[in-house]
Amino acid sequence: MRNFIAVGAFTAGAGLLCTVGLPWWALSAFGAAGGWLWAKTNGQSFWGGFAGGLLLWLAFALGRDWANEGILSTRIGALFLGLPRWGVVGFTGLLGGLLGATGALTGYRARRWWQTR
Amino acid sequence: MRLVHISSRRSTFAPMRGLLFALSVALSVGLIWLMHTPLPMGQQRLPALGRFFNPFSGFWQNAEPVQGPVLPAEVRLSGLRGKVEVVYDDRLVPHIFAEHLEDALFAQGYVTAQHRLWQMDLSARRAAGRLSEVLGERTLELDRMTRRRGLPLAAENALRGWQRSAEGMRLLEAYCAGVNAWIARLQPADYPLEFKLLGYAPEPWSPLKTALIVENMAETLCGGENDQLSTATLEALGRATFDYLYPEWNPRQQPIVPDTGQWRSIRGTLRAAALPNSNQRLSAQPLKEEYLFGSNNWAVAGAKTQRGAAILCNDPHLTLSLPSIWFQLQLHTSQMNCYGVSLQGMPGIIIGFNEHVAWGVTNVGHDVADWYRIQWTDAARTHYLVDGQTYPVEWRVENIGVRGRPPLIDSVRYTLWGPVTYDDQPDHPLHNCALRWVTHDEPDPAEMRSFLLLNLAQTYDDYRQAIAHFDAPAQNFALATRSGEVAIVVQGKLPARRYEQGRFVLDGSQKASAWPGFIPNEHLPAQRSPSRAFVFSANQHSTPPSYPYYYTSRDFDDYRGRYLFHRLSALQHANADSMASLQLDNFSQRAADALPQLLRLLDRSTLDEQARAQLDELERWDYRYEASSTAAPLYEVWFDTCYLRTWDEMLDSSGEKQLLLLPERWRFIELLEQDPDNAFFDRQDTPQRETARDIVTDAFRRMQVFFKKNPEKRTTWSQFRPASIRHLAQIEAFSRAIEVGGHNTALNAQTRTHGPSWRVIVELDSTGVRARGVYPGGQSGNPGSRFYDDMLDTWAQGRYYELFFLKAPEELPSIHLFIRQTLLPQ
Repeated sequence: MRNFIAVGAFTAGAGLLCTVGLPWWALSAFGAAGGWLWAKTNGQSFWGGFAGGLLLWLAFALGRDWANEGILSTRIGALFLGLPRWGVVGFTGLLGGLLGATGALTGYRARRWWQTR
Repeated sequence: MRLVHISSRRSTFAPMRGLLFALSVALSVGLIWLMHTPLPMGQQRLPALGRFFNPFSGFWQNAEPVQGPVLPAEVRLSGLRGKVEVVYDDRLVPHIFAEHLEDALFAQGYVTAQHRLWQMDLSARRAAGRLSEVLGERTLELDRMTRRRGLPLAAENALRGWQRSAEGMRLLEAYCAGVNAWIARLQPADYPLEFKLLGYAPEPWSPLKTALIVENMAETLCGGENDQLSTATLEALGRATFDYLYPEWNPRQQPIVPDTGQWRSIRGTLRAAALPNSNQRLSAQPLKEEYLFGSNNWAVAGAKTQRGAAILCNDPHLTLSLPSIWFQLQLHTSQMNCYGVSLQGMPGIIIGFNEHVAWGVTNVGHDVADWYRIQWTDAARTHYLVDGQTYPVEWRVENIGVRGRPPLIDSVRYTLWGPVTYDDQPDHPLHNCALRWVTHDEPDPAEMRSFLLLNLAQTYDDYRQAIAHFDAPAQNFALATRSGEVAIVVQGKLPARRYEQGRFVLDGSQKASAWPGFIPNEHLPAQRSPSRAFVFSANQHSTPPSYPYYYTSRDFDDYRGRYLFHRLSALQHANADSMASLQLDNFSQRAADALPQLLRLLDRSTLDEQARAQLDELERWDYRYEASSTAAPLYEVWFDTCYLRTWDEMLDSSGEKQLLLLPERWRFIELLEQDPDNAFFDRQDTPQRETARDIVTDAFRRMQVFFKKNPEKRTTWSQFRPASIRHLAQIEAFSRAIEVGGHNTALNAQTRTHGPSWRVIVELDSTGVRARGVYPGGQSGNPGSRFYDDMLDTWAQGRYYELFFLKAPEELPSIHLFIRQTLLPQ
């Protein structure tokens, strides 16, 4: 559990650097670093990275959406298959989660492969 | 042993772990690629999900706090000469206070770009034929036609003209510098939403882009004509029938400027006939929609108003869009204090008022675009004849960028007359014709400053001097002054045509076919302080037929002007409220003319009970297209069916395309009234001979069948004719449906897509200036802002806002203050 939390916390924490101009896909790289450093199993890396990416993107989206009272998310939802406001927020979180998860899994698998060499 | 064992396991697992690592890399890279690539969804392209959804630089950055945009209290900008105060009121209207006009215009460019940058970019791209660069193949044909009509060339010529005025250019460049100062501050995360959605970045602004914005307006307002259809119709029907069906003057019309003997001494061009016209073949084309732009302006002198103050009213009717067409602002300098609406990309205020005068505009609508048939000397069409002399064509090569595919190279022939727009379409009836269009001409160098001078005007003379250099699109400029004076001028570069010149396709092989010149400024129709104590315009004829210059139009208004004239003539003790009720008036003069004729001609002997009920509803209708009216849809279907079934001779067999020009509706109503046995009421597809009575009765039955087949249409006017305000890129999610009354023949000229784009009422008297206004949208161009459409509901309900016309920044009541921003030189 500690490793899972560590992967997630590192992914989310390092992912904050995206706020200062790093590209969005850097989250995947931070997930990879978290996975390499702390994950002990595939599941820990994947779900830890997922939780970190999801929480980071979800928190920022929620903050923006709350301040905006859903004006934009409602319109974006209508643009994307008629998603409701919370669907847009959730979808954002899901994308962040997947980026973090695949990144962390890759980091973990990289370490495992490195260790066998 | 143990080491050997581990080593052996390592060697066993290494390939598997390598494979798993490779798979996880593929998964990560694949996901990033997927989120980085715009994906197709039906006919649309979704933006790249990663770039668009990430909360740090994607669309979430455009989710503005509901209170409004976060603006820094102080900004340092290079290019400013002095300090500028920008006070935003609670509708996000910027009130700009600067010492110098140049700084005020810099700030105007800055704040306009801040709120409307994408709209500015799109409008300039539209006129430059560059939409496909960002929207792809779907706009390629539009871009090609824009360029083939010579719009980019017109903008280049406009700029060349403006560049001959150093003062005008200095002011324009100050505005452009302001726009660019905003663009320079932008990071990708700050880009307006549509840039992110469509995946491109803003470009620097330039004076050429401002010229393109002007040409965009010219294309909308003065690009229409009926030359080819009129020519084909004249040849098909013969002169006598043509003259009978298509008279140019409606005797019931009330022109903008009446004949009071002012033209007696002018020797115009009316009596000189145009050269014979060239042959024109028939070609089926989609039914031309009725002219949908229906602006009104009027000014009432103090003698007719409650307070003795002059009142100016204006509601320009255009294609309604989101972001809104107009951007409200106040410009205050040491020399002027002006409030009104501006067009994004253009310095100054277009419709507005200052402490001395108020002005408003409607479109003149004269035909200023003619087609000339070219006589080629060779099969390759590289040379042509004019007065027996051979001229080579000039080629303009258009390189049209198209997103997702190689650019299209399109070469267009140019002649002395202008571009041979359809030279690539052998089947087009104008295939061998060149377009002569006022918009292509290099304008008066002072044109750029017309509106800026108007912003500064204090007297009638200032107003005349300001607009004297305004070329295109010609506008009816109405004026009211604080001293109680009212005036109107039909202003623009208008060809001084020979009789009927330009009504038909012209012979391009003779120089004598050219316009003899332009109507001199002093001969343009104008009226100052008439005894009737009002001036008005509603896109109708500028003058009665006694005006010594011939002019023609694709479609002059025939109803709003008449109704407005009668209402203003009877008006007493006018105030802002009564003026507002006039702007919102849904009475249709056309329905009032037509319905009694339809009812008179209807054969009632075979009507069933349901038909009688509908008839009863129609007989009780007050000719008002109110949102709640259930009679208006009945009338609309009945009238339109009568009209189209009468003119079967002009349509193809499907009835959906027209071969010939359709007579104007006022003439159709006149024929119902005066000539119901006319041969044109006879249907070509029946053996018996029909009269107007048969057409009207048959159309009534068809109307009943229509509503039986479409019971959902048997509803209120606002639901029968749903209207919407579309996003400029036609994005449904950013558009708004509206339920409103109105009709293009009523003063509240609302149609499905067009309507009053800015309703304004200004009262001026010795105590000051009071104004109210509203437009359907909001000040912000950001769909993520509450200011995107916050005024729309107020507009739809027919209400107005009081406009804050400030003398100093501190005058704005704190309850209405949104934010105060200071712009400082760097």
